[in-house]
This record gives sequence, C-alpha cells and structure tokens, in this order.
Amino acid sequence: MSETRILEISGVTKLFGGLAALKDVSLEVAPGEIKGIIGPNGAGKTTLFDVLTGILTPTEGRVLFKGRDLIGMRPDQITAMGMIRTFQTIQLFAGMTVLENAMVGCHSQTRSGFLATSLRTPGARREEKEIIEDAHAVLKEVGLGTRAHETGTNLPYGQQRMLELARALASRPEILLLDEPAAGLNQYETGELSELLSGLRDRGLTILLVEHDMGLVMSVSDEVVVLDYGEIIAQGSPEDVQNDPRVIEAYLGIEAD
Amino acid sequence: MAGRKASRCDVERKEEPLKRAQRRDYRTLALVTGFILLVPAWAWLLPGDVIHMDIVNIMVFAGIYTFVVIGLNLLVGYAGQISLGHAAFFGIGAYTTAILCCRFTWFPTWLGVLAGVAVAGLIGWLVGVPVLRLKGHYLAMATLGLGEIAVILFAELKGLTGGTIGIPQGLNVKVSQIPALSIFGFDFDTDLKLFFLVWVLAAVVMLLSINIIRSRVGRSLRALHSSEVAADAMGVDTSRQKTRVFVLSAMLAAFGGAIFAHFQRYINPESFVLSVSILFITMVVVGGMGNLWGGVVGVITLTFLPSIIQALPYWIPGVPSGLMNFSNYSLMLYGALLVVFVMFMPQGIAAGLSKAAAYGENRFKQLRDRAGARKYEGH
Repeated sequence: MSETRILEISGVTKLFGGLAALKDVSLEVAPGEIKGIIGPNGAGKTTLFDVLTGILTPTEGRVLFKGRDLIGMRPDQITAMGMIRTFQTIQLFAGMTVLENAMVGCHSQTRSGFLATSLRTPGARREEKEIIEDAHAVLKEVGLGTRAHETGTNLPYGQQRMLELARALASRPEILLLDEPAAGLNQYETGELSELLSGLRDRGLTILLVEHDMGLVMSVSDEVVVLDYGEIIAQGSPEDVQNDPRVIEAYLGIEAD
Repeated sequence: MAGRKASRCDVERKEEPLKRAQRRDYRTLALVTGFILLVPAWAWLLPGDVIHMDIVNIMVFAGIYTFVVIGLNLLVGYAGQISLGHAAFFGIGAYTTAILCCRFTWFPTWLGVLAGVAVAGLIGWLVGVPVLRLKGHYLAMATLGLGEIAVILFAELKGLTGGTIGIPQGLNVKVSQIPALSIFGFDFDTDLKLFFLVWVLAAVVMLLSINIIRSRVGRSLRALHSSEVAADAMGVDTSRQKTRVFVLSAMLAAFGGAIFAHFQRYINPESFVLSVSILFITMVVVGGMGNLWGGVVGVITLTFLPSIIQALPYWIPGVPSGLMNFSNYSLMLYGALLVVFVMFMPQGIAAGLSKAAAYGENRFKQLRDRAGARKYEGH
C-alpha cells in the first residue's frame, strides 16, 4: 500500500485572510514518477510547495510523506526526511563558490557541530571530505563540473538554475520539488534539463515539477495536474489534460460551452 | 583510458582551492601570531616615556577585545545577526569572576573566568532563543535594550555588584583589588605576562574559529546570512544555528570580560555601557565583516587610535602648548575616521588594504612596462 504512494496530500486548504490560495487540494504521488503541476499565475502552485516543505502551515488538511504527517514539521526536518525543493526566484548563497553552494546541500546528510568542526575531529574531517566529493559529483551530473570554483551568483542565469538543482540533489532526496526550473533557460538548456530529469526519474527519484514551459512538462511528466484559483481542475496523462475543455478555458479564458 | 586519467587529475586539482585556502589561513595565523608575540621587543626599543604610550599595555587590551570581536564577527559578519549589546556579556564575564574571587578569596581565578563564560553562555541562550526571532533593525533594537538592562542591573544590584562604585570598593570585602589571574600557581600580575597569555589564547581561539568557518557549520552560517529560506530548505535548522552562534559569541565576549576584570583589577558599570558595545561592532565593521583577519586588524587599529591621537602632539617638535591638550578633540577625529572608513572602505581595512595593494601592484607593472617600452624605442 505504502509502496504505491510516497506522498499523499489530502484536503489541503490554505487561506490568506479571506483569500483561498489552495482549496481542498488532494493529490497522490507514486514513487518514481514525474508529476507536472501547471496552472495560470496565482493558481497556488508555489503555495502548494511552501506547504509541502514546511514554510507555510495549511489552514486545513494533511500531508503524508512516506506515511508520516508533515504538518507542523520544520523545513529542515522535512529536508532531512528526503524531500527538497528549488526556488522560482533563484536563491543561491551570495559570496559562495559553486562548489560551496552544492556543499551546503549536503547539510542534512552530515552531523558535525561547532565542537567537532572547531577541533577538526577525525569524524568531522572525514565528513568534510565526503561533502567535497558528493558536491563535485552532483555538479558534474548537472554539467557544472568545470565551474566549481567560480562564485555561484556570477554564473549565467541558466547555470544558476542548474546549480540550484545540483544543490538540491546533494541532499540525496527521494522527492524533488522543482519550481519553474526552466524559467529563463534557452531551448538548448531546456532540452538538457529534460534529459536530466528523465535520467533522475530512471534512477528512482520522484519529481514534482511546477513549470510554465508546456513542451517540457508534457514531454517528461507521467501525469499532469492543473491548478486554477487554488483548486485542482484536471488531472491525468499529458494528452488528456491538453484536451480538457476546462484547462483550455483556464488558460485562454474562453467560456466552455 | 586517457580520458579517465584526465578526469581523475581534474578532480584532484579542483579539490585544491578549499584546502589551499585553509593552509593559507593557518600560515597567516602562524605569521601574525609570531609577529604579535614580538611586539614587546619593539616596545623595549621604543620605551613608553619616549613615545608617550605603553604599547604592551595597549596590546593587552587589544588581545582582550580580540576574543569579543572574533565572536561578534562569527555572529554579525558571518551569520548576519546584529548585536548592539555585547558589552553586556563582556560585563557578565567580568562581574561573575570578580564577585566570586573577591567574595571568596579561596576561589581559583581561572575557575572564576570559566564560571563567567558559563554564566554568559547560559544567559546568552535564555536571551537568544526569543530575541533571535527578530531580524535586522528589530534585532538591533532588542540587543541594544539588553545591553542597557545589563548596565542598569550592574549599577542597581548593589549587594551583588557594588553599584556604581563597583568591585571591590563597592562591596564589603577584605580585598582592595580584584586578584590577578593565577593559573596553577603562576600569577599573571604584570602587563607583559598577561600580554603573552592573552595573545596565545587569542591564537588558539582564532584557530578554532577558522576551523568552524571552513566547515559545514561555517557554511550553514553564511548560507542563512544570505537566504534564510534557502538555508532552511537545504536542511539547516536556522533558528538553532543562530542561537548557537549567539551563545558562542556571548561566551567569547565573557571570556574577554573576565580577563579584563583580572587585568584592570577593579570594575564598575562604566566599562560595559552602550558605547563599548558600539566600539565592539565598530571594530568588526572597520576590520571587515565576515573576515576574521580583518577583525584583528580592526581591534588593533581602534585600540591604538585613541592613544596615538593623544600622543600625537608630543611626537611633533615645537607644538604650541595650546595644542598639547589636543586629545580633548580626539573623539571628533575618531568619529571622522569612522565616517571615512565606512565611506571609502565599506568592506573593512583588511579588504581595503589588499585592494590598494593590488592597485599599487598593477600601477607598478604599468609603469614598468611603459618604461620598458620607452627604452625599447630609444634603441
């Protein structure tokens, strides 16, 4: 039973004052699938990610990740459980090299505190060595292997997005939440991203993909969910969703007959 | 085969910069420590009655402030959490050991210092947990308030602290001054002895701090400084890390304060007022935020500055006697210098100097190349 659902969102509502950013959203995610989440601006996609990662507490509802309720847990605890996100507006760490950014991603996998690191205990040194190796490995995976020692925020925009992805992968997640990873990428870079995502899924990673680039969403997603005004209005295979009259209405604003 | 070999070399080369930077830090630490430990020799060559300042004495103060500033740099420069109240922890360290060692003459002074550190750590934790929920200006205001509360308590808890008269005179105790620091029977009762103690310990604290900065803990602090949301999302327990670095900085400030009490041999609330907190922050800013070496430069510069300003008229022969009390204007000059620093070296002296050095080097190369070209034309 638990094998078929890694993430179970049931009846999640989030009110901001009187405004419902999410209305009774229920969603099930199977392990190893890529689920695309689309919808017009302001549909509640990022709010959903904020609820999943513990940044926002929902007004109502439940989120089960690997059978455990996430509501009330801190963001870092959720990350440690194996769910990590990237941000729509790039949030790289200023003044850090590409490598160091990726190394922060290893934080949840490591333990050394103030005392151990200040004394450079054998354990802390071993960890540091592993962190450097892991960070190099994920940078190589996203194609940033040669830029490890440049300042992260000096990279071209597309590569900054890839660095965010690498930093998330460094935490060895089970679910990856990507918030518009293709925004600002050129066609070539989007193609590479698409290949990368498929590769990650083939390795068993589960991905929730919020994205406006329909070409990308429809080509990599196993299933697509459409949000509009905080509600799920359609859900299904990419083909079904594309032909759903309510989806067309939401996007084009045409009254469905 | 060749490709695999090349990629392995690649990885090895890429790993270098972080390790190289750490080695460079250790080398700098050895050099700076060696240089500072030689200061008494200079002071011997330039006696106080000739240059009108006591270099070793001032350097003891600088060493004491170095503990505070290293801690504040970790808190403010690296983790980005401002504190305008660290004189409070400096004072807690000083008062704890002073009270213990004056009330109970049998109490070991080194244990008094450690007790001061422990008390400050505990209070830092109790205060830090609620206060660090605030950000930016609000945090600045809250810590400023904490500093003021501490000064009022130092002055008003007369039975404990001796009120405004201070310790030991304000207390009903037999000793006429706070005992000198004594470790395993060795008394640190002169400036020179304290100088070596303080700067050797400062080097140790610096070493531990370098290790922290170049580790996952240091990276998590820099990360939450830059983006708390992203640091949270990467699995950093930001509120816990903030509390811990606050406690660490409180303990370092208290360590400096406790040694200060045993050095000055008396204390009163004057030494822990708001302007002292501001001085600490200024040392961090002038030296360079998020730059441990800059902090040391800031400490030494600002500790010497008032003495240099006071000694200045004596250094210039034939100064009219009316200008001999020039030091009355020293605060003005002090303020002006701060404005200049903030305007022209916002990243601190250390970064400013290395930028100036780089500019000078470039300029030198340009001139040399031009001279070379001219020579060539001459032929």
